[in-house]
Amino acid sequence: MGLLQGASELFPISSLGHAVLVPSLLHWSFKQSDPSFVPFLVLLHLGTATALLVLYRDQWVAIVRGFFTAAIRGTMKTDSERLAMLLLVGTIPAAVLGVFLETRIKTLFASPYVAAGFLVANGFLMLGFEALRRRRERGASRAEQESHFADAERISFRAAALVGACQALAFLPGISRSGVTIGGGLLAGLRHQEAARFSFLLATPVILGAGILEIPQLFTGGVPLGEYVLSAVLSGIAAYASARFLLRYFRSGRLDPYGLYCIGAGLISLALLHFGL
Amino acid sequence: MKSNSVTVGLGVLGAVFIIVAVLYAVGVLQIFTSTTSGPHYKHAVLFAVLAVASFVAASFARPKTA
Repeated sequence: MGLLQGASELFPISSLGHAVLVPSLLHWSFKQSDPSFVPFLVLLHLGTATALLVLYRDQWVAIVRGFFTAAIRGTMKTDSERLAMLLLVGTIPAAVLGVFLETRIKTLFASPYVAAGFLVANGFLMLGFEALRRRRERGASRAEQESHFADAERISFRAAALVGACQALAFLPGISRSGVTIGGGLLAGLRHQEAARFSFLLATPVILGAGILEIPQLFTGGVPLGEYVLSAVLSGIAAYASARFLLRYFRSGRLDPYGLYCIGAGLISLALLHFGL
Repeated sequence: MKSNSVTVGLGVLGAVFIIVAVLYAVGVLQIFTSTTSGPHYKHAVLFAVLAVASFVAASFARPKTA
């Protein structure tokens, strides 16, 4: 589960959807209603967040420094300062929606059938993002396309807020947080690699914050802390490797293969669940 | 003049968010929560973040000297 969570958290294929589907399909014994499941997920998320912090450690130092400098000065002068403010603006919608809606949404939709259905929807979303991007770029030469692409630091604050709000869709099991934020970044004019970088930077405070807030649950009775910590380490390693792979992949790769995977995996899961296999 | 009023407004909003954060943290405020007793740290942190954002926005809105 640690490896699965770490890998699927950053790939645009929905970690929550897989966390609901895979145990159900493989008839694994643990249940998500078990009191020890939340602490387990908490540690896995902390593993993922730590991996992202390690991956972008230099950028995070610059972002934190830039945040305080720009906040006190009241103006943004460097790219790091602007990126810090974009991340703040992008984090707020997800945090507001997460605090007020996440538990209700997850409770409503925590069924393998629903997760499989949303996984199919996630696939169509990924294909849709790419189709919209291609339509916008149609007719333009490669050089013209490149000139229109922006770095993450240059997108508008409105676009950052919209991309951030897209994260709330990921409370639905089967909809990928990284998928919708990368897709949102593409629509905001970012190239794939920059959209992935912005998505990972945006995810870090949300994943880390949610994890830290749930830490007290780790110290409730009956939690096998040693096994869970090992899973978290595996999750972190998988997340680090996934992020490195994806950043390299998105130099030329697209979201379409993940969209097709989600549609296929969702449909197969629906069939397996329906026939009780 | 306009910037001054925006700055003050955002500062006041930030102060309100801090008060709401404290009320959630000590368990006095129970609005929009899944349980009806005890502190709500997630809500408290959220309003603390909103307070920080408001103060940052106030700093950006304040009139700058050349």
